[in-house]
Amino acid sequence: MNKKLLRPPGALAEIDFSAKCIRCGKCSQSCPYKSIKTATLLDGLTVMGTPFIKAREMPCYLCMKCPPVCPSGALDRKLKNKQDVRMGTARINKKQCLAWQGTLCRSCYQSCPVFDEAIKMDNELRPVVDEKKCVGCGICENVCPVEPAAIEVKAK
Amino acid sequence: MRIRVLRRIAQILTVFLIIAIPVLNKKGVTLITGTLYSLSVDGIWITDPLSGFQVIISSFSADRILLLSMVIPAALALAFGRVFCGWMCPQNAISEFFDYISRKIPPLPPFSKGGMGGFQIFNITPSAKPRYVIMFLLLVSAPLLGFPVANLISAPGIISVQVSKYFYEGIVGLELGLIGIIVISEVFIIRRGWCNYICPVGSFLGIFRFKRTMKVIYTEDSEHTCGGCMECVTACQLGLNPMEGRIYPLCHNCGDCIDICEKIKSRGKPLSFKF
Repeated sequence: MNKKLLRPPGALAEIDFSAKCIRCGKCSQSCPYKSIKTATLLDGLTVMGTPFIKAREMPCYLCMKCPPVCPSGALDRKLKNKQDVRMGTARINKKQCLAWQGTLCRSCYQSCPVFDEAIKMDNELRPVVDEKKCVGCGICENVCPVEPAAIEVKAK
Repeated sequence: MRIRVLRRIAQILTVFLIIAIPVLNKKGVTLITGTLYSLSVDGIWITDPLSGFQVIISSFSADRILLLSMVIPAALALAFGRVFCGWMCPQNAISEFFDYISRKIPPLPPFSKGGMGGFQIFNITPSAKPRYVIMFLLLVSAPLLGFPVANLISAPGIISVQVSKYFYEGIVGLELGLIGIIVISEVFIIRRGWCNYICPVGSFLGIFRFKRTMKVIYTEDSEHTCGGCMECVTACQLGLNPMEGRIYPLCHNCGDCIDICEKIKSRGKPLSFKF
């Protein structure tokens, strides 16, 4: 397992998360969008049974239903505000991005739940991510019309 | 056969819950959520003590809710012994089923050793030592490797999580293959070997035991007489001898020995459950 998994909202830093996650699968059951998948043996021994999100398939819509169901505190149960979520940060691949390559596109900008804060349009109408505001939900990655996505969430 | 009827109901109910919980949750019915690692029943949290303990020692912190959620299973074990294993564990139900089937088939020559039917290559006297060594190694490696290592081989947890995964994602993980490995090894290598010698979940539950924990008692006096028919020994899938007395912590209080004893002796049976 080389690539870091994108964890559900409220997840502790990876090393603490790995130790605290009981692998019960309650968070995936609580997810109304079925965004939260369960890692298997093939994803690696240390992450087997842990929850993760494949944003391109189904991002996190920040309904905040999963943190309160965590029995072990691997997800911060007190987390309520979606603006405080830090799952990761969106990164734009400017060589892939339509807007950065001169075609009009504002898919990510328009669908960002932290609207006009986490993703802003610059003077030349190109999207720019504010890493301090980005919650890492992956909705931008999900809606990006380019294949592969020109904006991707890097897990924290 | 009263005990066995109750036990079958408990086993079927557990399997039903394992399937019903994800199905209902998917439909938005969230009265009961979770898997056998951790359940919540209308706001009451229940966590597998082995998983909870591993989380505590590998994260060096004790979450209050996590600690409280381990009380019910620990209390159940303290009161009734390892009834989770005997009465609820889906792996035990699967193992029992295949053991029953394998004993219905006449053994072929290379497998005819053992004297009690079945296909197993080895016929060994049960001992609790291997399972505690395995549990100790798993518990030591949890903080060293930084994750709940024993959950890698927690059969009931894996079954329950994979059933849930199947209903949510339509696929299951390769780890479900462990169940097949357990069944094959129990049918062909050591009878009920996983439950008797390896399973860390059962070992951990076996720790919660004291003088008054429910146990199978053998009484031989003026009112209780044993004919020495040995049917209780044959009935025990774990290969224990309830007449000996030293069957704990291996015995998981399934009650099959008591049932068979009652069937043979309509009154004054020497075997019974006592606290």
